[in-house]
Parts: sequence; C-alpha cells; structure tokens
Amino acid sequence: MLLTSVIVVLREVLESALLISVLVALSGTLGISRRWVMWALGLGLAGAVGFSLGINTISDWFDGVGMEVVSAFMQGIIYLLLLAFALLVLWNTHSTRTGSLLIRMIMVLIVALAVAREGVEVLIYMYAHTESLPHFIHALTGAVIGAAIGISVGVLLYYLLSYPAIGKSPTTGLVLLAFIGAGLLSQAVLLLIQADWVPSHLPLWDTTDWLSESSVTGQLLYVLVGYEATPTAIQVAFYFGGLIVLLAIAALTVVFRSRSAEEVSG
Amino acid sequence: MMSNRRCTTGNDMGWHGLKCRLVRTAFVIACMVGSAPVLADKPVFILEISNHLFMPAEIVIPANTKVKLMVHNLDATSEEFESYELNREKVIMGKRKAVIFIGPLAPGEYPFFGEFHPETAQGKIIAE
Repeated sequence: MLLTSVIVVLREVLESALLISVLVALSGTLGISRRWVMWALGLGLAGAVGFSLGINTISDWFDGVGMEVVSAFMQGIIYLLLLAFALLVLWNTHSTRTGSLLIRMIMVLIVALAVAREGVEVLIYMYAHTESLPHFIHALTGAVIGAAIGISVGVLLYYLLSYPAIGKSPTTGLVLLAFIGAGLLSQAVLLLIQADWVPSHLPLWDTTDWLSESSVTGQLLYVLVGYEATPTAIQVAFYFGGLIVLLAIAALTVVFRSRSAEEVSG
Repeated sequence: MMSNRRCTTGNDMGWHGLKCRLVRTAFVIACMVGSAPVLADKPVFILEISNHLFMPAEIVIPANTKVKLMVHNLDATSEEFESYELNREKVIMGKRKAVIFIGPLAPGEYPFFGEFHPETAQGKIIAE
C-alpha cells in the first residue's frame, strides 16, 4: 500500500519534474530570470484542482472517452509549445537575444499544462483513499515520499544541466526535451487509440521479454524517453517524427553557435 | 417542372410532398441500416469493480478484434484500470461507468490490475 502510493506519485511527479528542471536550467543558459516557474506551478496546480473537480463531466464527454481526448489534446499542445520554444531558442543562438517574454510565456504554459495533467492523477489517487483515515494517512505518506524522490531527481538534473561545461549551450537541454516531447506525442496517440479516435493495429514489435514496461528500468525509460514495449505503427511514426524534428533543431543550435563563434574570432 | 421544387419541412400534402416524405423516410432507414453494422462491429464486454475486485476476473475476447470494454465501478471510491500488456490506463470514478477500447490482440493472456488497489484488484483478458 505504502510502496504502491510511492510508485504512483513518483511516476507522475517525475514526468513533470524532468520537464521543469530542463526548462529552468535552459532559462539559466538563456539568461532569463527563473521566476516564471512559480507562476507556472501556481497555474498548473490550480488547473489540476479545476480539472479534478470537473472530472465526472469531462469523463462523460465524447461518449465516455472525454478524459483520453482532453489529455491527448493537452499533450499535443505541450509538444507544439516545445517546438515553438526550441525554435525561439535556436533564434536566440542565431541572432541577438529577443523574445524573452514570449519564451517565458511559452515555458509557463508548458509547465502549467504538464503539472495540471499529472497533478489531476495524483489528486484522484488521493481522493480514492479517503474512505478511512488510516488508509488516507498511508496514501499520503507514500505520496509525500514519492513526490520528494521525484523532486530530488529533478533538482539533481537541474544542477547537472547547470554545470558550466553543459550549461553554456542549450543543446543538451534541447536533446532531452526532444525525447520528452516525442514520448508525450506517442502517449497522446495511444490515448486517442484507447478512445477509438485513431485506428489501432497489432503492435509493430514486442520487447516485453527484453525489457518489461512494468520493471523499474522500463518505468524509468517510459518517463525519460517514452519507452513502450508494444507500440503500434502510428505511435512509432509520431514518436520518431516528433523526435527527429526537435533533434534537428537541437543540432542546428550547435551549427549556429560555432558559426557565431567564428564570426566573433574572425 | 414540379419535380424540380425543393423539399421543405412545410406540410405539402400533394404528390410532391409525398415524394419528399418518401425520400426522407428512405434516407432515415438507409442511415439506420448503414449505421447498424458500425455499432455492432465492436463486441461489448462488461467488467465490474466491486469491493476492489474485478468481476469477472477473466474475460475471453476474440483475437485480432477490437472490443469495447464497459467498466462499471460499483465501489464508492475511484479505481484505475491499468495494464502494461494491453497498453491501457484509465480512471473510473466511484459509482460510475467508463468505456475502454482494447485490441486488436494476438492470441494470448493479458493481465490487468487496479492501480489504486493492486493487492486485490487483479484480472486478465484472454484473447483466443
């Protein structure tokens, strides 16, 4: 029971924590004040509360698949915002630093959407254990431990990315965002398959014997790079399509940086 | 030239009105006949959650077919239907119903569990 709530909450918190720490570290790289993250967290938590209050209504939308459609839509928007963010970062490395307000607004939206989506899952989980006080205390203790581990990992990643050798260039951060974004896109497609909005087929491959999704490594890779043991062709297409676009932008930041360095030395 | 008149919803009692009504009725019937196979093509299976247990704990579904799983949560507390093998995850609030589409699946066994009460809520889908 305690271990279950640790794992459930850790998984949700970790997904948002990774995204937040990469974006906060990138703010440092871009010379943008990190204060936006407070706004984003506030907005995200308010969104999660609102979302959970309306959960019964939302669930009934579209003949009972409202949650899937709304979640998929939110994840699709997060991907598009990540794309806009990456392009703005590229633009910043290419020319003079402009659009810092726009970058901050995009980061606030990305984090708020991610926190709202993961937060609602935690709130529903806690709500499911309100039948008795001992139950709730157990769940809450597990949730606090899970959240603490998730946040610690996020903080650790932040310091790693802020390390001068890595933090000088936005490339590493953008590469990590590419994997997170591709995972979100593949999850969104899966949700639409579950809702029967996207046709489903037999999985393209099955790597369960090699690495099970329920194993610790499998769950960690799911959070980090969107690992699926049995993906369908549409998921694979969206995953790699989304990944390649963001990786290409990350690669271009290297090209632009070396070119502007040449201009400075020349 | 009468036949070129447009059909309106007004009460046209003449030959033209009768023709319009016939066309409209035929259209409605065609829609009903046309949609019937669409509604019927996904077999429906019912799964109940009661006292944090899945009932039935085993559901046999046809292999290589997409099916509609209707989950009725009879408990007051919410539960999350989760399965790594089926790639599905869905919250069903207390005293509510939810729809989960699964498959097409290759023949085999696909375990699922209730993430909020995994020690008791266990089950499996058998595709054959």
